[in-house]
Amino acid sequence: MDSIVRIDGLSYRYPEGTADSLTDVDLQVEPGEFVVLAGRSGSGKSTLLRAACGLVPHFHGGEIEGEIEVTGLDTRDHGPAELAARVGFVSQDPETQAVSTSVAAEIGLPLELRGASSAARARAVEEVALALAIPHLLSRGTDSLSGGELQRVAIAAALVSRPELILLDEPTSQLDPVSGDELVWLLRRLNEEWGVAIVLCEHRLERCLAAADRVVAMDLGRVAFDGPPREFLTWALRSDPPLVTPSARLFDLAGIKPMPTGVRDARQTLADATAGGGGGGRPRAPWLPLSPSHPGERKRVGASGRSPAPAARPNLTIKNLWVELADADGPKQVLRDVDLELIAGETVAVMGRNGAGKSTLFRTAAGLVDPVRGKIEAEGVALLPQNPGDLLVRERVDEELPGPEGRAALAAVGLEHAATADPRDLSGGERQRLALAIVMAGRGGEADEPPGVLLLDEPTRGMDRSRKEDLAAFARELAARGSAVAIATHDVEFAAAFADRVVLFGEGEVIADGPVSELLSGGWYFATEVARVLGLPGVITAEQGAEALKTRSRVKA
Amino acid sequence: MRPALAYRPGRDPLHAASAPAASLFLFAFALLAFVYSSPIVIGSVAVAALLIGIAAGARRTVFLTLRWGFAVALLMAIVNALVTDRGETVLARLGSAPVLGQVNVTLESLAYGVGTLGLRLIATLLVFAVYSACVDPDELLRLLRPIARRSALSASLVTRLVPVAAADLARLNEAVALRGPAAAPVGRGAMARRIVAGSLDRSIDVAATLELRGYSLPAVRGVRPPLKRSRHDRLFYALAALVAGAGIAGAIAGVGGFDTYPRIVIDTGPATLALAGALPLVAMAPFWIGRPRG
Repeated sequence: MDSIVRIDGLSYRYPEGTADSLTDVDLQVEPGEFVVLAGRSGSGKSTLLRAACGLVPHFHGGEIEGEIEVTGLDTRDHGPAELAARVGFVSQDPETQAVSTSVAAEIGLPLELRGASSAARARAVEEVALALAIPHLLSRGTDSLSGGELQRVAIAAALVSRPELILLDEPTSQLDPVSGDELVWLLRRLNEEWGVAIVLCEHRLERCLAAADRVVAMDLGRVAFDGPPREFLTWALRSDPPLVTPSARLFDLAGIKPMPTGVRDARQTLADATAGGGGGGRPRAPWLPLSPSHPGERKRVGASGRSPAPAARPNLTIKNLWVELADADGPKQVLRDVDLELIAGETVAVMGRNGAGKSTLFRTAAGLVDPVRGKIEAEGVALLPQNPGDLLVRERVDEELPGPEGRAALAAVGLEHAATADPRDLSGGERQRLALAIVMAGRGGEADEPPGVLLLDEPTRGMDRSRKEDLAAFARELAARGSAVAIATHDVEFAAAFADRVVLFGEGEVIADGPVSELLSGGWYFATEVARVLGLPGVITAEQGAEALKTRSRVKA
Repeated sequence: MRPALAYRPGRDPLHAASAPAASLFLFAFALLAFVYSSPIVIGSVAVAALLIGIAAGARRTVFLTLRWGFAVALLMAIVNALVTDRGETVLARLGSAPVLGQVNVTLESLAYGVGTLGLRLIATLLVFAVYSACVDPDELLRLLRPIARRSALSASLVTRLVPVAAADLARLNEAVALRGPAAAPVGRGAMARRIVAGSLDRSIDVAATLELRGYSLPAVRGVRPPLKRSRHDRLFYALAALVAGAGIAGAIAGVGGFDTYPRIVIDTGPATLALAGALPLVAMAPFWIGRPRG
């Protein structure tokens, strides 16, 4: 059987690029395979996907060497439009992936441009809409869709020509945990039922490894690993730890093998080990599952050792807050009777599904939205919006932040060395820190004092784990200096690493508010992978889980 | 938030009609706003467009356009009154101005500025506002594509970029408000550069999507683009012909006369009043005749 993608010695440099984005890449993808493309930010994943759909080099230009054949077509001779009948591509930003005004027209456009008959087109649109569970969207306008709905429409448009291969570049980065999980399993179903090969680029590997047949890890433009998910985890533990999933890290710390590719796999391994057989020769794990109803253990295990110990002074007080926003259908209640206090030194993750009201809460606290009722008392609120790049409007870093206060703000985020740089030349993490310095500048009492309240709206989108860890450390440092830091996020693993407290929103209301170890261990979607594997109250991180397993094994012994 | 002039799908007869039928129906009214100078007829065209917009669910669009149109129309009338000194009834003598010379505001120039220029602007804006809110641009582009592929590509790009750029602009304005007191304020120049740079980035992303959809493929010969058809199409074509035909015939016959210089003379005869009265009724006819039965 011929490979659906065959890449030999591919090197590529973007126009005006100072280094190769891809270096001597060899890769093959077989028909019907589900491949996860892993790697840190800037490792070449997106460029590789763009090369496989022909955008590189036909659309982006640049210098290319080596061979790349997709579905038997040489991409140097066949552009993205020709390849699109055989290869679907879905990018990260749903907003720029809709080019028609109605959903039905958007999905049918690729067939229309290829001259398909009305009947064939109508049938294909209907079938792909049914497969993706979006027939109710067909009559809607594309500008009325949420990010998750737009992403599904983009996938439908990529699938409507029945391609042999679909390439997806971080399609879940803007989705809540529910929508993200649904999307990955939807892709697996399409892969199994339609036989379409899938190459999925994703940072949150815990979400998709269980669905994958194979993992390709990129590093500095090269293929660093290519093999099954389980072997990938073993490799990542040794060579690139930020790529390791929480459950694999749990198993590694607890000394359990083999590495689990997902929650089900991990639970099965633990259950087999507990039963003492069925492990197929695997070493028996020296532990027993902890009963969730074991009160003594619950208390001990649940202690995170990271108690917020907040001061009594609230930096932000929200009382009886009601917010209405107008859309095309008239005013709509977005926040309803919200009461919230953020204490100095506290780190809070604000969570909830898309449209639950998280961003509106932050925008209201920052004064961008006027509430219809309620009161907000705050000390110097700084809000970092979802797109930090919107804050960067000048060509030198120090032009954004002039004067002694500006220099102090730059120093506070560790960017004083980059004062003369062009913000566009900074790395993604540095740009985000510069944006943070811009929103915080002058909001503290003294020059080097942080603002009373720092709100970050979805700051981890598209970030790899090492950058998330840097951000979490920075936010916690600000909290230690007296700020109340709240981050709206869909990323439960990041929330577990960063926050002391979680506030969960649903339909504009606070539906749960409590310690992170309690909130992220008691559910399914809003729970860390470790919590889903172990099901132990209060256990949300790999370290806590490993400690619980070891403790249990000692009790057993 | 969706821009006021953006197309919004609907279920009324105007939305359901094919793009050519709906376009001809609306442009027949716009035509009369240019064929006639009479404020009675042009005002009737404006009322007709307003009623069509409301009946087609574009209430927000037409009222926003009306508000904006009034402001521009008023400005236009003032400028006309200042630069035109024709007319016998001088209302104010404002003395001599460097470029304009002696400035006299006359009743006639005001009447022409308000009754013809201003009302014509409002009527035309209203028709175009209803058109942009109720006629599917995808369908128009589909019609355009076989004739002028590159133009259709540019139009598609612009059509998609307008809402994306509007959303970007709203975000950038919010970002300006979020800057700390010690951050450099954002002047218009810096903001304009940022908007242009952002739009270019966005246009590249949208263009990449168009490329992936297959826009650069050669047109497939012998395959007609899919066109929406509606049971209302014939009625819209007939009414468009009626409005345009009767309007032009009336103008040729001297109906709806309006002279402002040197004195105001306005035709208020039965034919003019009948034409003005009929236009809103004809405008509403498709919504009355085409309403769901049973």
